[in-house]
Amino acid sequence: MKLRTKMLKPFRKVPVLNAANVLLVENEEHLHSRLADIIVQNEKDVNITVRLARKLPLPVENQDSRPRIDLVVFIVNLMSERSVQSAEQSVRYLDSGFFLGKVCFLVTGARCLSVSSTRLLTVRKMASSLHCPLLFAEDQTSEGVIAAAVRLLGILKVAAGLVPFATGLSLNSVTHCILPSDLEQNLDSPTC
Amino acid sequence: MTEASILPGLAGAADCSNENDSSCSDISNKSLRIAENAKKKRQAEAPLLLALKYFSQVKTGTPRNGNDELYGYLEQVEREALAQGLAPEAVSIMLEFAMSLRMTSAISSRVLRFLIPASVVPQEAVVRGFSWLCMQKLSQPTQVLFLRWVLSMFDMIDSKDNLRAIYGFIFSFVIDETMCPFICHLLYLLTLKEHVKPFRVRKLLDIQGRMGKQPFLMQLLALYKVFCPEMVTLTMPSKMKAGFKNHNSTWKVALAALRKRNISKETHSMELTLGVRQHPHRRKRKFHHLLVPALTPMMESSRSNSRKGVCLQQLSSFAELLDNLNSIELPAQMGSLLSSALALHYLDCVQDESAFLRLNFWLGHALHEEFLFGPVDGSSESMGEAAHFLSMLVSTQHFLQEGFSSTEGFLYKFLTMWDGFLHRPQILELLSDIPLVPSSYIKDVLFEPLMQLYFTSSVFFKCSVIECLTSMLRKWLTWHSVCAQEEGLDISLNNRSTMSLSLSGFLDSVLKLVQFVGRLTSVGLQLERGHTLLLHHALGFYETVSDMFLKYSLPLFVMLPPGVFFPALLATDPVSIDRLGYIMFRYRQNLTSAKEQQKKQRELSLHINRSVYKEFNTYLVAMVAHLWNSKSFSPRTGIEVSEALLERTKVADYSKSFDLIHHPAFLNYAIDFHQQCWPERTDVDLNSIKVGKYWEWYVEFLFTQGFDGLRDFIKVNINQASARQSIGQPLSQPTQPSQPTAVSSPSS
Amino acid sequence: MSLLFNIVISVVLYVCFTSLNMDDVARTLLQRTLRKIPTRKLEETIKKWSHLSRRQQQSLNYTQSKWILLQKLVSFCEDNELTVRHVSELEMIYCMENPNLGTWKACHLTDAEDDATSLDLMCFKEQFKSHLAELTRNVSIKIKKHENETIWIRIAWGENFIKPNHLKPTYVVHDLQTPYVFICNLSSKNKPLLYQTLVLATKHGSIKDAHLSGRNLHAVRDLLMGNYHQTFPTNHQRPLEEMSPPPTHPNIENEHKEHAEKRQQVACEAFGEGKVPKLETATYTLETRFRGGGSIDTLVDGEKPFRTVVQFASTSLLESLHHCVSSGIADAPVSPLLSSITQKGRNYFVITDKADR
Repeated sequence: MKLRTKMLKPFRKVPVLNAANVLLVENEEHLHSRLADIIVQNEKDVNITVRLARKLPLPVENQDSRPRIDLVVFIVNLMSERSVQSAEQSVRYLDSGFFLGKVCFLVTGARCLSVSSTRLLTVRKMASSLHCPLLFAEDQTSEGVIAAAVRLLGILKVAAGLVPFATGLSLNSVTHCILPSDLEQNLDSPTC
Repeated sequence: MTEASILPGLAGAADCSNENDSSCSDISNKSLRIAENAKKKRQAEAPLLLALKYFSQVKTGTPRNGNDELYGYLEQVEREALAQGLAPEAVSIMLEFAMSLRMTSAISSRVLRFLIPASVVPQEAVVRGFSWLCMQKLSQPTQVLFLRWVLSMFDMIDSKDNLRAIYGFIFSFVIDETMCPFICHLLYLLTLKEHVKPFRVRKLLDIQGRMGKQPFLMQLLALYKVFCPEMVTLTMPSKMKAGFKNHNSTWKVALAALRKRNISKETHSMELTLGVRQHPHRRKRKFHHLLVPALTPMMESSRSNSRKGVCLQQLSSFAELLDNLNSIELPAQMGSLLSSALALHYLDCVQDESAFLRLNFWLGHALHEEFLFGPVDGSSESMGEAAHFLSMLVSTQHFLQEGFSSTEGFLYKFLTMWDGFLHRPQILELLSDIPLVPSSYIKDVLFEPLMQLYFTSSVFFKCSVIECLTSMLRKWLTWHSVCAQEEGLDISLNNRSTMSLSLSGFLDSVLKLVQFVGRLTSVGLQLERGHTLLLHHALGFYETVSDMFLKYSLPLFVMLPPGVFFPALLATDPVSIDRLGYIMFRYRQNLTSAKEQQKKQRELSLHINRSVYKEFNTYLVAMVAHLWNSKSFSPRTGIEVSEALLERTKVADYSKSFDLIHHPAFLNYAIDFHQQCWPERTDVDLNSIKVGKYWEWYVEFLFTQGFDGLRDFIKVNINQASARQSIGQPLSQPTQPSQPTAVSSPSS
Repeated sequence: MSLLFNIVISVVLYVCFTSLNMDDVARTLLQRTLRKIPTRKLEETIKKWSHLSRRQQQSLNYTQSKWILLQKLVSFCEDNELTVRHVSELEMIYCMENPNLGTWKACHLTDAEDDATSLDLMCFKEQFKSHLAELTRNVSIKIKKHENETIWIRIAWGENFIKPNHLKPTYVVHDLQTPYVFICNLSSKNKPLLYQTLVLATKHGSIKDAHLSGRNLHAVRDLLMGNYHQTFPTNHQRPLEEMSPPPTHPNIENEHKEHAEKRQQVACEAFGEGKVPKLETATYTLETRFRGGGSIDTLVDGEKPFRTVVQFASTSLLESLHHCVSSGIADAPVSPLLSSITQKGRNYFVITDKADR
């Protein structure tokens, strides 16, 4: 019962015309406000609202002011174990309805693989088991942040139903993360 | 090697220092002290000589603690070394001092750390260093430091023949576990064919049995195998891990600074360098991760011609290269080849396996260690450096017209963590260069990561991915058409790799690629609401696909998916329809000639699926019905919409709305034509164009507007004669896709 | 064992120092001191020292390599026939300008006598010298007054037959009329001597360790005297504009804004605001028993308290802790163990089991 009130539900509120709302969840709070600024400034036609959060569940007292969430983005910094754990725990507070094309993971620090290869695998496994897209971002450069924000904006517009002929679910079906079966082995011994 | 011969300039300085010693004993005498000070000033002019003199003469066991003289001299040499680099003689002296362990190993390692040569390292000094190494007196860290130093300075060693002469001695260190990786690397650089001996191979295999499949051992064995394949029976994995690490971290910055200084002094002959060669930076740079080393830097001018090997950088013209083709000695840092067009010519025509092996190793290391897993550093400098490096790689690969296998491995890794933005032009360019990927894992390594990126990125990214894949397909097809003619059906994919591929395997991969692009384009167009630019890139891809049989003699026919066909047919710009017409025309030509060939040769290998004909006919019918016969939305045209629904659109004559006159793409041409025909008429009645000769004139008018694709399409598919007969009804029947119909299957 | 070692050391030192004449000690000290001073600070320090003539000072070229410069300076000092006394002054000047080169330990003077507040510099100087001379022989003491009433004392310790070792001097910093003394580089052997002298000279009853140490003298002093921007716990929420980051787009809203503000406030209350004093470490010595589930038998065994030392280290510890709390890495109500670093001015704590008290 307690868990149920804390769950974030996708269809609790009615959608508003020409509006899209995204929830950025990041434990470290390094990137999400930068992304939020760019997302909001980049879009002129649609009214975009960005909610920032460190983790789920969200505070119950904001429930009334919170709009319908069209997309939940978990930002995971692979340099920090805590970031991965926090995302793992937060995912539990999402209603299953979100996983039909309303969730994605954004990973930073993946290129520094020397420290984070196991964490990357953890996140990959999580994303593929939840059938969510897994995006990568270069958070060190402002161009990289802008590029990530623009990509998120594109996904958000689809998830919010602002793109005709496309739904979050249809996009999800072509972008969700798939764990490569045994990539390394294949590369080592091509059988042809 | 006597001291006198090394230090001819020190004779004067030596006298001074002797006097100095005697006077030092009496400190209290002030006048003497003043005299001494004056002398010191004189000596200051040659302080380095003094210091070197000290190090060449200092005895074993001289106390170190509180020995200000030692530290003073040490500092002097260090400063000089870091600022200007040391002259060859100075390098000899200091190396001798360090290796002979006359002070403690702390001092020795300090000396090694600042031992930066200004021009060259005399070979003899290194050989002597190895003889000291054989004494086994040095501590292990110092031994390793020495080896690292030799590896880092390898390019500057003035010649390597004496080092090669002591190959056996160097090889003997391979049994030492800590030194083994470094020794292997050094041997890797020194090995010539005559060095590969059965007992050495046995030893290495023995060590491998003990230490496991260490990458450095594998690399050395791979090189041995290249030289003497009969001796090494070991099978090498086709994609080997990078074997050696770069050991130059200690000297990296100093060497780079030195190199830069020397480069700026030199004057390049620009005619033979590739376009992207970087101009020396003005600003001081902190990191030089991805700097392509200069082609065996700055020296070798003193080299005597008697030696049999010729270094690439000695050559300045193509003619010289041809003369010396058989005696070229490769540089130690294979990366330096990338920046020299001459070296690439050499690589291209000689097909030297060991050179490719080494170049691939160097490249793989540079890409993986320094770029992919290197420190994440957002500074614009390091980004620019990486971009420049990748551009250089792109132009090198274009020059050689093939991709390196290390680039391929790197791309597969990088794609899985790419943000779709970082170095996009270069990465996509490199991606288009990768050789044919076997169909068994093309999905995992290429399609999955690309698809995730493609669908989550902007339309411009989508366009560049399609463009990249188009270029990739073209390269594969070109390669196939060249190789197939040369070698028949059994094509070995890459003469440097063990992988070989049959024709069916090749067809399989190409088919998968075409199908993949089909998915990308149809879903992409749907997502982007038929974006014109994306549509054009998709059509560009199918222009290549439609012509595979005639242009590249590949018996493979894949029709374009409805998701591309119909958006193009109903597009608002005439160019899309024109290109679609051209594509349909080429499909028809290809199918027809394939069918003829099939009849002629009755070859079993050429088998075309009936469904291809069927698809083609459906498209043909749809296109003719829409554009020519004004029968849009009628049954059998591909788009069937119920009449009730069409009524609700309140378009009066909906079946006409996509013919050549009313099609939104051609509407303004129709109006233009109308005005030219009836300039006096104020009310525009487009239907009057359809009547009689006007229709023919209108079609001719369209052809004059540059719609060549459309013209080809109409000329081949529509019987003009029948059009002339029927009046009011432009054309009742398209020449029923008579020849390539499903009815006429090859067996008939 | 350690005693024997001491004796051996002293004998060695004795031999060393007697075999060299005075000049050599001075020269060694000079060379060591000059080597310690970085080149960019050398000019300023030499100027302050004022034992070289103007001509000499002008002839020095500070762009030259340090090694050459050093030779020149040594020869000047030889020409001027400077002694250890002069050279130790140079060291002291450099130390006073750069007090962050050693670890400073704070001591607390207690039981002030009535006339302790009226103590003046001259009196203190005299008292200190005479008391220390009484306690031990062969000590070289130098006392200087720095700006703003701070007294700097340099002590080179010797022993009965050993001349003062100028290479390892102890520095003491004290502000008159305050109960705190800061000591750098004091060996345990000399500790009672110095403590007693300090107690007597400052007219206090006793002295004890304040359990605070750090490399930055000013930080240690500020922390003890409360000279930094402190925020005191309040019950009411502070106005928003004071805390919130620069205004962002109205469409961006933080779900955890209140929490973030609260955390920020808590962090400021615990560790101060703005520029906090720079401490490097905080050490906790735990002497506790293991309690809880009996699954780990080895720890419960014997009921003996077990000792652990936990040390937090950072270039600026308080800032790090502040960040930990404000960014939510540490729990929001700050543990009193952490907050008492600022509140009690300590960075060494012994935590004992309640049952043992």
